[in-house]
Amino acid sequence: MDNFQKKFLEEASDLINQLEQALLTLEQDTQNPELVDSIFRIMHSLKGGGGMFGFDNISSYTHKLENMYDLVRQKKLKVTREMLDITFESADHITSMLNDDGTKSNEIKRNEEILNRRIDAILDGDNFSDTSFGPAESLEQTVSGVKSYYVKVKPYEHIQRNGTNPFFLIDELVGLGKHKVNIFYSNIPDFENFVLDDSYLWWEIILSTDKDEDAIKDVFIFVEDDCEIVIQRISESDIFEMPKVAPLLDCRQDFPFDLDKIKAICQEEAVKEKEKSEAENSENKAKVNSGDEHIKKFTKESSISGIRVASEKIDDLMNLVSELITTQAGLNLYAEKNKDAELTRITENLENISRQLRDTAFSITLIPIDYLVVRFRRLVRDLSREVGKEIEFEARGAETELDKTLIEGISEPLMHILRNSIDHGIESAAERMAAGKTPGGKIILQAYYSGSQVVIAVTDDGAGMDPKKIKRKAIEKGLIAADSQLSDKEAIDLIFMPGFSTSEKVTNISGRGVGMDVVKRKVSDIRGTVQVSSSLGEGTTITIKLPLTLSIIDGMLVRIADVDYIIPLSVIDTIFAVEHEKIVSAFQNVINIEGSQYPFYYLRDEFGLTDSAPAKEEIIMVKYEDRKIGIVVDNITGEYQAVLKPLGKLYRNQDIFSGASILGDGTVALVLDTHKVINQFTKYNEL
Amino acid sequence: MEQETNSYISFMLGDEYFAINVGKVLNILQLVQITKVPTAPDYMKGVINLRGTVLPIIDIRMKFGMEPIQYKRDTVILVLNVEIANEVVNAGILVDSVKEVFELQQDEILPPPGIGSKYKSKFIDGVRKMSDERFVMLLNIDTVFSTDELVMLQDSTETKEAQEAEKHE
Amino acid sequence: MAKTILIVDDSESIREVVNFTLQNAGFEVFAAGNGIEAQKFLDGRTIDLVITDLHMPEMDGIGLIKYIRATAGYNRVPILFLTTESQLAKKIEAKDAGATGWIIKPFVPAKLLAAISKVIR
Repeated sequence: MDNFQKKFLEEASDLINQLEQALLTLEQDTQNPELVDSIFRIMHSLKGGGGMFGFDNISSYTHKLENMYDLVRQKKLKVTREMLDITFESADHITSMLNDDGTKSNEIKRNEEILNRRIDAILDGDNFSDTSFGPAESLEQTVSGVKSYYVKVKPYEHIQRNGTNPFFLIDELVGLGKHKVNIFYSNIPDFENFVLDDSYLWWEIILSTDKDEDAIKDVFIFVEDDCEIVIQRISESDIFEMPKVAPLLDCRQDFPFDLDKIKAICQEEAVKEKEKSEAENSENKAKVNSGDEHIKKFTKESSISGIRVASEKIDDLMNLVSELITTQAGLNLYAEKNKDAELTRITENLENISRQLRDTAFSITLIPIDYLVVRFRRLVRDLSREVGKEIEFEARGAETELDKTLIEGISEPLMHILRNSIDHGIESAAERMAAGKTPGGKIILQAYYSGSQVVIAVTDDGAGMDPKKIKRKAIEKGLIAADSQLSDKEAIDLIFMPGFSTSEKVTNISGRGVGMDVVKRKVSDIRGTVQVSSSLGEGTTITIKLPLTLSIIDGMLVRIADVDYIIPLSVIDTIFAVEHEKIVSAFQNVINIEGSQYPFYYLRDEFGLTDSAPAKEEIIMVKYEDRKIGIVVDNITGEYQAVLKPLGKLYRNQDIFSGASILGDGTVALVLDTHKVINQFTKYNEL
Repeated sequence: MEQETNSYISFMLGDEYFAINVGKVLNILQLVQITKVPTAPDYMKGVINLRGTVLPIIDIRMKFGMEPIQYKRDTVILVLNVEIANEVVNAGILVDSVKEVFELQQDEILPPPGIGSKYKSKFIDGVRKMSDERFVMLLNIDTVFSTDELVMLQDSTETKEAQEAEKHE
Repeated sequence: MAKTILIVDDSESIREVVNFTLQNAGFEVFAAGNGIEAQKFLDGRTIDLVITDLHMPEMDGIGLIKYIRATAGYNRVPILFLTTESQLAKKIEAKDAGATGWIIKPFVPAKLLAAISKVIR
C-alpha cells in the first residue's frame, strides 16, 4: 500500500477516536462550542485528507457532516439526539470505509444512503423544536440571514442544442429556498415556426433563501451565454413571512410579477422590522448569557500529543539500546578484571546512563490505557441502550501505561468482559429495585501497577455469580463429574473451562460460546493471568494481570551442554541439586525429592544431546497448571533480566522456545517456555 | 529493450559451484559460535547474534542432501534476504568458500535443464557456463527456503546412477 | 434504474477517481481512454451523460463533442468537459462545439457531483 495512504489510515483512525471522545462528552454538554468546533475540524480533516489520498468516498461523505457541524457552529442548528446518533454511526461508517477492501462495498453503499437521508433531513431544517434536548437556546431569530430575490430566467431558443435542460435550472434554483414560480408561454411561436428542439418557455421566480447571491448565480454558471438572467435582491428578509406581499405573489399565467410594488412593500416592512427588533434586543440580552457557564474543559485532543513515529523505528531503537546495554555489560566485566580505577569510574557512569536510556526507550513504547477507554465507553453506551439497561461506566487509573503490543492484545478480552457484565451481570432496573439496589448499574474499570505487573480490574455491581448454578451447568455439560467436591471459589473458576456458558438464552451481544475460556487464552497469549471473584447478589470482579512489558523477562540463566537457556522466574517454584545417577535411575520419569514424588523432564534426553553430563545437575521445579514438574539442567548460572528477541519465522515450529536473548558476551541464549516444553514432551513420552 | 545485466556472487558447496543474485546477499560473515536450537531439523544449524538481532543459520549442504558441512578456514556465512510466503526474512547459509562476483547478461543465462535431467528446475533459475567448461547453478534461494523438507536438487532415482555415470567419464 | 455516465480521459487515475465517486453516488459508470474508444462505445447505446477531457490522443475532446452532437439521438445528451482554469479559450470552443458545462481540474468529488447534478436529475 502507498505510504501516504498508510499514513492517512493511521491519522484517520486517530481522528475517529477523537471524534468518539468528543461525541461522548458533547452528549453530556450539548452547548459546548469547543466540542462542536473540534468535531467540525475532524470532519474537515477527514474530508481533505480523504480527497488527497484516494478515499474520495470518505471525502464526499464527510462533506455533509462538515456542513452540519458548521451550521451548529453558526448556531443555525441545534445539537440533537438524532444528530449525535448519526455522527456516532458515521464514525462507524467511515471506519468501515477505511477498512473496506472492496468486498463490502455494496453494504457500505446502502448504509451510506440511509445515513445520508437522515443527515439531509437534519440539514433541511426539520429539527428546530421538539426533538432537541438540552437547555433552551438563546432567543436570537432562528431565521436570520434569509434574503429574498427576484430571478428572471429566459433561455435563448437554441439552448437545448448543447444538452442543457432549462427545467433543471429552475429545479436547482428553487431548491435554494422558498419560492414562487411563474411560467411564461408567451414566446411560443405558432405552429409553422415551431422548431422541435428549441426552447421557448421562460420564467420569473420569487425566491427567499439563506444562501448568498453567489449561490444563485452559480445555478446558471453553464448557461451565462445561453440565457437571459436577471437576479435582483428585493428584501433583506424573508418575503414569504410578509402577509402584506402574499397577494402580489400569486401567479397568473403570462402575467409578470409587479416588481415595483413588491419592492415598495418590502421596504415598508423592513423599516417596521428594524424598529421592532431594536426594542426586543434590549430585553433579550439579559437572557442570552445564562447558557454559558456550563462549558466543561474538554481533555486535550492529542493526549498523546507529540510526533508520530513508525513502530519499525521504535523496534530499531530498542534493538540498539539493548545492544548498548550488553556491550556496556561487557565493558563492565573488562573494567573489573583490569582493576583500573579510572576505567571503573567511567564504566559505572556509562552503566547509569545506559540504564536511563533503556528506561526512556521502553517508555516510548508504552501507551496509556485511556486509549482504549473511549472504545469501552462507546461499547457501554451502545450496548446498554440496546439491552435497555441504564449503566454507568467509570474508568480509574486510565493514565496507566501498557506496552503498545499489549494494548491491542488486551482490548478484545476487556470488551468481552464488559459485554458479559452488561448482558448477564447487571440486572434489569426492575430486578435491581426489587433487590433494593439502585435502578442503574455501574461498571468500574481500574488500572494500576503492582510490582512488575499492570493490573486491570473490571467490577460490576450486578447479580454476581452463583457457584451452585455454575457447578450444575458444568455437570450438565459433562465438564466435571457429578459428585465432584468443589469450594465456591473453585466452582466459579469453572467458567474458564472451554465449552462453558451460563446464560439461559444465548443473546446476540455476548456471542455464542465465546466464553471466559477464550478470554483466558487471549490473556495468557500476552503472558497475563485472569481471575474472577464474585459475590452472589452483589457483583463480580474480573482481574487481569499483565507483565509490564512483553519484551523483558526476569529469568534464571541455566546451562545445558554448551548452550545457555533462560527460564522465566515467574514459573519457577524451587530448585534442587540432584545427582546425575538419580536422574538416570528414575523410573518412568518420576523422582523423589524430600519425600514427594514429582514427574520431571530430562532436557538432555529430550534435546537429544549425547555429550557426557555433569555428575551433579539441577532440577528446577516449575509450576504447570496446578502441579509442580521438574526440569533438569546441567547447572544454574544466576538470575538474568533478558530482553526477548524473536527467533524468527524459520523457527516457528520450535515453539518450546518463546524467543532468544543476547547475553553480555554476545552469545545467544534460548528462552524456554516450560509450559510448552511439558506439553510437547508429554506427548512423546506417552508413545 | 536493453540487455539486463545482473551481478551474482558464486560460492562452493562441496565441489559444485552455485551463485545467488547479489541483490539477495546482505553480507558475508566470518564463522562465529552458533547456538544450536534443539528439536529443530538437522540442517538448521542454530542462531547467531548479528548486531543485536537473532539470525538463523542453515547448513545448506544438508538441505541439498549432501554431507554436513565441515568447518574449515574458508567456511563463511552468507547473510541473505529471503522471501518466504510474502514475508522477507533474514537468514544465513554456511558455504565452503566464496568465489567471485560476476556479471551476467540476460542472454548468457542458459535455461535450467528440464525434467529428467540432473537438477530440479524449481530451485535453479538457470545455469551459466564458465570458462573452464564447468557450470555454475543460479540458485532461486526463495524457493529453497520455502520448502521445509530437504531440497532434492536431483531427482532421487537418478542420483546414484548419475553420480556413477559421471565417475566413469 | 441508475443513470449511466461515460467518462472519457486518457489518464487512468482521473478515470478511477471519477468512477469511484460516481459509483458511490449511485451512477453506473463506463470509461473510455480516448475519443475513438468513446465513439465505439456510444455506437448503438444510450447514455445519460458524457464527461470528457479535452486533450486526448487520437481524437481530442472538441472533436468528440462535435461528433456526439452530430449523431442522431445524441443531440440532447448533456456533455461536461474537464478543463484547467487557464484554458478559457478552450471553454468557448467547447461550448460552441456543443458542450453543456464544465468541471475545472483539479476537482474534489463534491464539485464533480455538483456539476453533474446541474445537468442530470
